[in-house]
Formats: sequence, structure tokens, C-alpha cells
Amino acid sequence: MAKIVILGAGISGHVAATHLRRKLSKEHEVVVVSPNSNYQWIPSNIWVGIGRMKSEKILFPLAPLYKKKNIEFKQSKAISFFPEGDKNENKPYVLSEYVLGDNKGQQEKITYDYLINATGPKLNFEATEGLIPGENKAYSVCTYTHADHAWEGLKALIEEMKAGKKAKILIGTGHAKSTCQGAAFEYILNVEQELCRHNVRDMAEVTWIANEHKLGDFGMDGMLLSYGGMTMKSSEMVEMIFEDRDIKWIIGAGVNKIEDGLAHYETLEGDYKTESYDFAMLIPAFSGHGFKAYDKNENDITEKLFKGFMLVDADYTPKPYEEWSVKDWPETYQNPTYKNIFAPGIAFAPPHAISKPRKSRNGTDISPAPPRTGMPSGITAKLVADNIIDTIKNGKESLHHKGSMGNMGAACIASAGYGLTKGSGVSITTFPIVPDYEKYPKTQGRQLGKTFGEIGLAGHWLKLALHYAFIYKAKMRPFWWLIPE
Amino acid sequence: MTQRISKYQRFKMMNPVIQFFKFIYLSIKIMLIVAGGHGGTRKVN
Ligand SMILES: Cc1cc2nc3c(=O)[nH]c(=O)nc-3n(C[C@H](O)[C@H](O)[C@H](O)COP(=O)(O)OP(=O)(O)OC[C@H]3O[C@@H](n4cnc5c(N)ncnc54)[C@H](O)[C@@H]3O)c2cc1C
Repeated sequence: MAKIVILGAGISGHVAATHLRRKLSKEHEVVVVSPNSNYQWIPSNIWVGIGRMKSEKILFPLAPLYKKKNIEFKQSKAISFFPEGDKNENKPYVLSEYVLGDNKGQQEKITYDYLINATGPKLNFEATEGLIPGENKAYSVCTYTHADHAWEGLKALIEEMKAGKKAKILIGTGHAKSTCQGAAFEYILNVEQELCRHNVRDMAEVTWIANEHKLGDFGMDGMLLSYGGMTMKSSEMVEMIFEDRDIKWIIGAGVNKIEDGLAHYETLEGDYKTESYDFAMLIPAFSGHGFKAYDKNENDITEKLFKGFMLVDADYTPKPYEEWSVKDWPETYQNPTYKNIFAPGIAFAPPHAISKPRKSRNGTDISPAPPRTGMPSGITAKLVADNIIDTIKNGKESLHHKGSMGNMGAACIASAGYGLTKGSGVSITTFPIVPDYEKYPKTQGRQLGKTFGEIGLAGHWLKLALHYAFIYKAKMRPFWWLIPE
Repeated sequence: MTQRISKYQRFKMMNPVIQFFKFIYLSIKIMLIVAGGHGGTRKVN
């Protein structure tokens, strides 16, 4: 009998838990540890943040589903890792703390045979002075509560604009090393469309601010994509969309401080500037959760498990951009020291960025951290689950299932506006996610036919269809496993 | 404001009939790329 503990019930933790439960017999225990009682489909937060979807539509409580499916659920948060146990406990365990109910504050040693760390990122708002969701007129859409607040702020501003106020709206990244530009890109296009819908577009100046050195970098070093029978750079595509919708842009900007209605930033040219706004949505830096790890004698071994995020089978040797290779990226997401620990989704430490690192003239790093979107998060979680299942069934380690981001495609359907007939979406696929400059030297590291972009109403329908399909899948409704990650 | 998307292009982007077929086409194309598999990048001896 094996006990598999999964930390986190986001996209990757939930995918791992559901596949493990489906494929392992009842004698094996599947335990999920997560501080949030709900599952949330994060990509639809964009629509919550413009008031077109209620947050209840993107979430559901985990406890009843897990009870029905025989998955144990502990609403608590992991604090530290003891991969060898301790003087009193022979089995490896995670120290966790309950966050709710009568047990609140109580700590528990959760022992395991296999551990999946799927805790995603810490939304590191503290890394930017004054960037606090809902304060200083700056908002976030990274969680459903943040997105609800963002809509309250935007709604109030729209009312003021209707009464004659001219307003400035600033959307993008809130730190020099932020990632997730795609989410901010979706939000700015949705906000712009909502301003049109409320007949206040001419009252607003809408500006994109980002740490990308070029538009459309998306933390992925940009893309060369097929678009309408042509080959186009992602920078040209985004420029076309922004110009067409009268959205201004500030790029190569590392936001370092937020005051009431003021965003201070440094540019790659080394200038220090300030942009004023009446409403801002800025994506914070993502970081690891600051977990600690200890050996059997309680010596600190954090560096064996973490480098910010969790160490896995990547090549972490520091090297210049020119020497980066797809082979640096992990394939099995297994920790090299403790082979029964895995970290899929955003929880694993990437070997390096994907976009070329850039510094300002003052030496400040201003370039995007590598994104890990929903699809690779789900795929990596499933392959980790499959390797654990094979290992349990075969009685010896099996790492047959592999999935490097350098040999994996991803679809990103960026909403560009909500509405069954008026909506729009920018559908982009990339193959591979991490550019392979050896295999595809002439097409910026990606296969052209499989890397394409499309703009239009169909993109909105696709994003809506994915919303319903993935919530259906997450709820483990009949034949849920037929829907791919 | 610079109009970068022509009226005809916009018509094609927003026409529900054209977009319905595009939806089917995109769904299949995305499925093929994404469900087309994934693997490692390093050769094992
Ligand atoms: C606004 C927004 C829009 C996005 N849109 C898209 C999109 O359109 N398409 C796309 O592919 N991707 C999108 N993404 C990215 C996608 O949401 C992420 O790739 C995905 O959520 C990562 O999954 P994960 O499971 O690794 O992390 P998460 O989803 O962040 O899950 C982490 C889990 O760990 C739990 N946790 C945290 N701390 C602890 C702890 N100490 N102990 C135990 N559990 C803990 C959390 O409660 C959570 O359940 C978007 C992201 C954002 C923010």
C-alpha cells in the first residue's frame, strides 16, 4: 500500500490527484493538502475582472468531490519538508498547518511514500513597494477574490467616466521580473472592449506597461507564427492589435514602486520614470513559497530541495543565453536527491528564463521570468502521476513518461473581449514552448505550421468552450479523463 | 488611432458563420498539436 501526498489543488495538483485516484486501487491513499477550500479555473478570472462572469462560475468546493472520490483532503498549508523523517518519525513527511475550523493553527506531520509538490507560485506582491491588490488604485486578477475587487474598482471608474471624468488605465506587469504577460494582455483587451460597451472609450487613455523588451515577447522570447497565410512576428501581431484598439505601450519597464495612482519604473535605457493612472492591473512577481527542508537530524537541507522553486531534473549550471538549450529543461520533474519527490506545474525551478535576460544601464534585471501556463502544468502533473503509478505497480522506479517544455506544444487562447456575438480571442499555439534553436534554427526555434495565431470571434468561443470543458473535467464528471490536459 | 485591421478583415473576424467553421478548424488543429504528444529532449544511452 502506498500513500501519495499532493501539496496544492490548483491545475497541476488537482490533475495529479484525479489521475492517481482513477488509476490506483483503493488500498493506495491519495491525500491532497491545500489551504484553499475551492478549486478555481484561473484563466477565467479575466472575465471576473470585467464583471462578465461571477466568481462562483469559476470555482467549486473541493471537499465534497474528494469525499465522493475517496481522496483525502486536508485544508492546511505545507510549511517545511522532512524528506528523511526526523529522530521520532522514520517516514518522510511534510509539516503542515491547518488554516480553518477547530484545528486552525494546529500542525501535523503528514507522512508519505511519494510527494507531489504542486504549490504553484507565491504571488510576491511584497517585491514591489506599494503593490497591494485593491490599494493605491492598483488591482490584480490572479485569484478570484482579486478579480472581484478589480471589477469593483473598474466599475466605479466607468461610472465616473460616464459622469464626465477623463481617466487613465494602466495594465501590465508590476515588477521588473514578472511573468504571465499573457494574462495582462487578455485583461487589457477585455477592459478596452468593456469601455466601448459602456460608451466611455473616448474618455479613457489605455496603456500597456511591461518588462518585455518587445511587444508580444510573452516571456517566451517572442514567436514567429503563421497568421492568415503569412509569417508574422508576435511583436507585429500585438502591435497591430494595440494600434487598432488605440492602446499605448511602455515596454522594457521594470515597475519598482506604486503610490496612490502612480507607477514608478525604470527603463532598459536606465531612465527612472513615473506613469499616473486612475485604475491599474499589474501582475506581481512570482516566487517560491520560502519552504524550508531538514534532514533526519534536523540540519537545514533547503538547498537540496529548493532554489526558490523546487529543484528537479533540470540542468541548473549557470550559462549565457547563447548556450541555453532545450536539454536544460526537466523531463520527469523528479527531485535529484529525493527520488520520491516531484514538482510539476509552476512549482518546479526552471533552469533559466526563456526570453533573453536584459539589464538596464543601471544594472537592474528587466526581463520576463519564464511562464508556465495551464496546459504544461496539467501535462507535467499527469506524467508525474503516471510515473508514480507505474513505479507502484512495477515495484521499481519507472520514469517512462517524459515531457520537456522543449518537446511539448501549448495552446494559449487569449480572450480579447467577452460576448457570444461581440467577443473575440487571439488563439496562439506554439510548438515547442521552449524554443529549440538547434532543431528550428531558421524559424526562431519553433515549428511554423504548429506555431500559429488567429484573431476573431471563434477564439472567444474556444476560450468559453475550454472554460466549461475544464470545469467539467475538474469536477470528475462521467468520462472526464477523455478531455486532454 | 491607426486602423490596422480593415473593415473586410473585421467582417471576417466577427462573422458568426465564417467563425463557426473557424471554430471547428481551430479546435481540430489545436487538438492535433497539443494531443500530438510530448516527450524528452535528451537521449538516454
Ligand atoms: C489571471 C491569469 C490568467 C491565466 N490565463 C491562462 C490561460 O488563459 N491559459 C493558460 O494556459 N494559463 C493561464 N494562466 C496560467 C495558469 O493559471 C497557471 O499556469 C496554472 O494555474 C498553474 O498551475 P499550478 O497548479 O502549478 O499552480 P496554481 O494553479 O497556482 O495552484 C497552486 C495550488 O497550491 C496551493 N498552495 C499554495 N501554497 C500552498 C502550501 N503552502 N501548501 C499547500 N498548498 C499550497 C494553492 O492554494 C493552489 O491550490 C493564467 C494565470 C493567471 C494568473
